[in-house]
Amino acid sequence: MNKIDKKILELKDQGRMGLMTHLVVGFPSIEKTISYAKIMEDSGADFIELQIPFSDPIVDGPTIMNACDVALSNGTKVSNAIETMKILSNELSIPLLFMAYYNNLFKYGLERFCKDSRTAGASGLIVPDIPIEEEPNEHFIKTAEKNNLYPIRVLSPASTLERMRKNSRVAKGFIYCTARQGITGVRNRIDPKTVSYLNSVKREINVPIAVGFGISGREHILSLSKHADIAVVGSAIINVINKDYSKAEAKMAEFVRSLLFDT
Amino acid sequence: MSKGHFGKFGGRYVPEMLIPALEELEKEYLGAKADKNFKNEFNHHLRNFAGRPTPLTFARNLTEKLGGAKIYLKNEGLNHTGAHKITHCIGHALMAKRMGKKKIIAETGAGQHGLASAAVAAKFGFSCKVYMGATDVERQRPNVFWMERLGAEVIPVSFGSKTLKDAVNAAIKDWIENVEDSYYLLGSVVGPHPYPTMTRDFQSVVGKEARKQILKEEGRLPKRVIACVGGGSNAMGIFSGFLKEKNVKLIGVEAGGTGNAAGEHSSRFNGGSLGIVEGYKSIFLQDDDGQLQKTHSIAAGLDYAGVGPELSYLQSKGKILFASATDSEALNAFELLSKYEGIFPALESSHALAYAIREAPKLDKEDSIIVNISGRGDKDLFIVANALKDKQFGDFLKAESSKDGYNE
Repeated sequence: MNKIDKKILELKDQGRMGLMTHLVVGFPSIEKTISYAKIMEDSGADFIELQIPFSDPIVDGPTIMNACDVALSNGTKVSNAIETMKILSNELSIPLLFMAYYNNLFKYGLERFCKDSRTAGASGLIVPDIPIEEEPNEHFIKTAEKNNLYPIRVLSPASTLERMRKNSRVAKGFIYCTARQGITGVRNRIDPKTVSYLNSVKREINVPIAVGFGISGREHILSLSKHADIAVVGSAIINVINKDYSKAEAKMAEFVRSLLFDT
Repeated sequence: MSKGHFGKFGGRYVPEMLIPALEELEKEYLGAKADKNFKNEFNHHLRNFAGRPTPLTFARNLTEKLGGAKIYLKNEGLNHTGAHKITHCIGHALMAKRMGKKKIIAETGAGQHGLASAAVAAKFGFSCKVYMGATDVERQRPNVFWMERLGAEVIPVSFGSKTLKDAVNAAIKDWIENVEDSYYLLGSVVGPHPYPTMTRDFQSVVGKEARKQILKEEGRLPKRVIACVGGGSNAMGIFSGFLKEKNVKLIGVEAGGTGNAAGEHSSRFNGGSLGIVEGYKSIFLQDDDGQLQKTHSIAAGLDYAGVGPELSYLQSKGKILFASATDSEALNAFELLSKYEGIFPALESSHALAYAIREAPKLDKEDSIIVNISGRGDKDLFIVANALKDKQFGDFLKAESSKDGYNE
């Protein structure tokens, strides 16, 4: 059984929304990535997505772009990201996913990437720029599944009913719904249309729903808790790191805990 | 154009939030393509706004000096706004109008596509945002100034390598955020389907004109058609008129920059590899991990890590040959054309000309070649003056910049 499924069963048993936190591998250093991830688990995160830094991250806003730039200028390679995954999966028990842009996988070799990621203990892949229509050429979904990695499908408020169904047919683990039509980054409030969109996704598909993009605090998560199964917090966490590198560990524990419900 | 693949190249590798918009654009484009009124309106504006057809000029003096094939210049620099770009901008603006969009988003390298986008936005009543790498803003300030006069907002992009690829990224992000009322006027035959096909179709008028013109002048087809290749819009435009001819060699000229090391040039077919970036699969200058590399060219419009997918496909099939010209060869070609023919070519187009200067003497005097002069060189005034170390021009700039208007 994939760790993601186990986790989702656990969340259902506990009757609570899950929390997925985000890190860019190598930002501000590999050592820090490892130490932050441990703090995240200790503070209550249910999943962590480890983003492989890319030179041209098309759905990311300034916060994550800058983190990618820093990680790349530190010399972070795809192979380092896989090593980091290996270290973390040995030390943590929650499911870990890679978030990456397709070109990094393609150049590394898709088959090799999936194999190495699986061996390193990854449970899933979130790759936003490989749409289902390119599957006949790329075999991304097939290759991921062959290696017992869940290829997480992404939906947006612009997705038509037809596209929701198309993606849900191949969805494994959960579907990642972007809370807004836009790029990643902290926003002050949740778009009021988000709830109705999440509800329409829920009607169409049987897979658990993760919601991310623009979610930065407990109130955001509370307002979505009835409409999705997992909340994803990305840029807001990187902002915690950005504020003060030296205090980031303590601040991160505090921040992650502040996102959780009382259970 | 079912999924926009050219062999293994092309496609639509974009995040989900853009797929519905691209599907809509494709559907609308197919409708427009079949619509006679759309075609008539496009042709009307090409004639009466852009100034088409552009002439095919025989470069008699240069031909005699080189002593080989007859050199013809397809002078796209005579288009309104100074380059071939206005042609596809008119097509896209009519699409934006057809789709009821209010805003145009564009990116630009040299500023020529931005300028043409700003011009059609002014003419057809759209607001216009142009993303431009901060490095390009610095080196192409005159175009920034003119875009702003046309009412466009020019937004410098100061992340990544601060050139064209970063401007494309920023423009795509803006489009993702504002897809409902915005039309993304992508400036070349790159990006996700249907852009490479649409922009090629709009630009194909250049190839049609050139073919007709050379047949009229020479009574037979040329031996070579030569075009510079950044993203590839001018090249796909003129090549499309000759693709089916076995005896016409098509040559794309990339920027050789200052050397062969990564970061010194923009020759995708000399060191690039297959990748998927900015929504399309093609040849990119990238490292082993798939990170795009820095590029360089004296010509901002060629300074780009990717290349149109159809060009990669045609290269792989041996239908287009690729060569490169260095910064200094391009400058030399610029000077030659100015002195011998009375035409300033854009530094981008000067790369194509540099190759023609190498090639013409190897061919018979009876043969002809066409060089696509994709734009005029006026925009490169400051770069050329600096490269030629024109001290008096420098003094002039100092004197100008001390005037009151700049210092208030």
